[in-house]
Amino acid sequence: MVVISAVVIGIWAAISLSGFATGMIKSYVNNAVQNIISHIQVHQPEFLEEYDVEYYLPDAPAVEQVIRSEPGVKAVSVRSLSSAMISSAKGARGVRIKGIVPEDEAQVNALNENVKEGEYLSAEGKNAILVSVDLAKKLNVKVRSKVVLTFQGLDGEITAAAFRIVGLFDTGNNPFDEAYVFVRREDLNRLLEPTDGHKYGVAPGALAHEIALMVDDVRSVDAVAARLREKLPGLDVETYRQLSPDLDLYEGQMTSISILYLTIILLALVFGIINTMLMAVLERIKELGMLMAIGMNKFRVFIMIVFETILLGLVAMPIGLLLGYLTISYVQSHGIDLSTYANALEDYGLSAVIYFEIEPVVYWQVAVGVFLTAILASIYPAWKAIKLRPVEALHKI
Amino acid sequence: MKVITTIGVTKVYNPDKIPVRALNGVDLRIEQGEFTAIVGPSGSGKTTLLNVIGGLDRPTSGDVDIGGADIDAMSDNKLIDFRKQHIGFVFQAYNLIPVLTARENVEFVMLLQKRPKQERHDRAEELLRAVGLADKMDKRPSELSGGQQQRVAIARALAPKPDFILADEPTANLDSVSTANLLDIMARLNKEENITFVFSTHDQRVIDRARRVITLVDGKVASDEVRG
Ligand SMILES: Nc1ncnc2c1ncn2[C@@H]1O[C@H](COP(=O)(O)OP(=O)(O)O)[C@@H](O)[C@H]1O
Ligand SMILES: [Mg+2]
Repeated sequence: MVVISAVVIGIWAAISLSGFATGMIKSYVNNAVQNIISHIQVHQPEFLEEYDVEYYLPDAPAVEQVIRSEPGVKAVSVRSLSSAMISSAKGARGVRIKGIVPEDEAQVNALNENVKEGEYLSAEGKNAILVSVDLAKKLNVKVRSKVVLTFQGLDGEITAAAFRIVGLFDTGNNPFDEAYVFVRREDLNRLLEPTDGHKYGVAPGALAHEIALMVDDVRSVDAVAARLREKLPGLDVETYRQLSPDLDLYEGQMTSISILYLTIILLALVFGIINTMLMAVLERIKELGMLMAIGMNKFRVFIMIVFETILLGLVAMPIGLLLGYLTISYVQSHGIDLSTYANALEDYGLSAVIYFEIEPVVYWQVAVGVFLTAILASIYPAWKAIKLRPVEALHKI
Repeated sequence: MKVITTIGVTKVYNPDKIPVRALNGVDLRIEQGEFTAIVGPSGSGKTTLLNVIGGLDRPTSGDVDIGGADIDAMSDNKLIDFRKQHIGFVFQAYNLIPVLTARENVEFVMLLQKRPKQERHDRAEELLRAVGLADKMDKRPSELSGGQQQRVAIARALAPKPDFILADEPTANLDSVSTANLLDIMARLNKEENITFVFSTHDQRVIDRARRVITLVDGKVASDEVRG
C-alpha cells in the first residue's frame, strides 16, 4: 500500500511539476508575445542595433501593404519609435517611445486591455501618452498629469514636447513597463519629421521604424517570416524567438525542465520505494523465513520481491498517471492563482495566474521512468531479504 | 535408517556484543520413527536446538550430522535444498501463506521441488485427508481455525516425504481440544506411516503423549528419558 501511494504521489508530482514548469514557460512566452513582442517584427537592419530614428523603414506604407496582404497574417501595427527623456516635476528617466496607431496596436497586442487607470489612446486630443503604473509612480504623476518628452528629431534637432497622460498600463512585465511609453504615431511623427519631410524620402506622416504583426497560428510563424523575407529584401524580418533569444531558450528548455523534474522525483521515488519495500521485507520477515525454511531458495525469494515491487509499481502507475492527467486538465482550464506573489512573478514577466500545460510525451517519460525506477529500487530490498538467515527471520516477531 | 546426531553442539548469539549461550554442549542422537518431545522453560534453548538439528541454523561449535550428511560443509543454498528433501518444519504460528488455499499451501512445497502437477495434486489431497481436512482443501488460512491451520502445516511438512518432522511448539496457540486432535493425528502418522516427529513444548498434556522426553535447562540436556 505504501509503495503504491509513494509511486502514485511520485508520478502525480512529476506530471504536475512538469505541467507547472511548462505552464510557467508558456505563460512567460505568451505574455511576452502578446503584450510586448508580437509574433514577427520588421525593421531596417541597423535599427535594432542602434535604435536610432534615422533607421526608419523606407516606404513604410508599401511594406505595410505587402505584410497585410500576406496570407496567415492576422493583425499588423506600424510604429515609429524614438529614445527619449521623460520628465515630470519629480524627475526624469530615459524611456523609449512607441508611436502607435491605437486601433492597430490593439489588434496586435493586449495594450488596450492592460490599461489599468484612465483610458487607452484614442483619436481625440493632441499629444496624449500612456505610461505604465510603475513609471507613473517613479515620476510621481497621475492620469491627466503632464510630462515632457525630450528627444532628437530626424534632422538631429532636439525637440521637447508636453504630453498629457491619458492612461496607466501594466503588462505584468516590470522591466518592459518601466522602459516604454506609448503615444499616437501621428503625434510622434509630427515631432520627429522635419518640416521639409520630402528631403528625407519620407512622405509626411509616413515615418515608421517597426512593423509588428501577429499570425493566425503560432506554428506558422517561421513559414510566414520566411515568405516575408523573400518579399521584403533588405529588411530584417524576425520572429519572437529571434527577437528575444531568451524566449527561444525557454521554449527549448521546456522538455529538459520536465526531464529534470522527472529525474529528481524518480530519485526521490527510488529511495521511497527502497525504504518502503525494505519495511515490507522487515514486516514479512517471518513469512520470508518460513518460505526459506520450507525450501524456497534465495534466487526465488529475490525474484519474488523484485516482481512484487514491479507489480505494485504497475498497479500504481495508471492511478498516478490519471491523477496527474486530471490535475493538469483542471489547472489547464482553471489555472492557479498566484496573485499573492504577483509582484515577484511580474518582475520576471510572468502572469499571476498559471495554467498548467504538458507535452504529451511527458506521460510516456514518466511511465517508462517509473517502471525502470521500480525495478531498480526493488533490487536492494530483495538483496537484503536473501541475506536474512531463516532462523533470525523466524525468531523476530 | 536415518539418524540425526549432534556432538558437543553450542550456539552463542551476539558473540561480539552481549553473548547469549543458547546451547551449551548438546550431545543427542535422534532416530527415524521417534515421537520425541523437547521440553524446558522458556529461554532454555528448545527453538535453537530444533533449528540447529534441522539445518535452519548453524551451530557455533560442535558437529551436526543429518542422515550422514555434514551440514557444516554445505553452502547456504545447498543447505536449503538438502532441508527441502530431508526435514519438514512446523512452526508455532505464521506458518501458512495467507493468500493460498490449504491445498495450494501443501502443493507449494512440491512446486518448489518441481514435482509434476498430477502428483502434486494427488499427494496434497491425500495428505490433507490424512490430517482430517478433506472438506477444507479450498479454504484459505483465514477461514480455518488455529488447529486446522496447524494440520495444514503438518500436511505441508509431510509433502516432500522428509525423514524428520521438526515442530516448534506446534500447540502453543491451540485450545485443549485442538491440541488433543493434533496430537492424535501426529501419533497416528507416526504409528501407521512411521513418520518421525520431534516437537518442543512446555504443555504437560503434550509431554505425556511423547515416547521420549528430552529436557533442556540453560542450553544443556538435563534429562533424556524413553518411556514404554
Ligand atoms: N536470534 C537470537 N539472537 C539473540 N539471542 C537469541 C536469539 N535466539 C534466541 N536467543 C536467546 O537464546 C536463548 C534461547 O532461546 P530459544 O532457543 O528461543 O529458547 P526457547 O525456545 O526454549 O524459549 C534465549 O535466551 C534467547 O533470548
Ligand atoms: Mg522457542
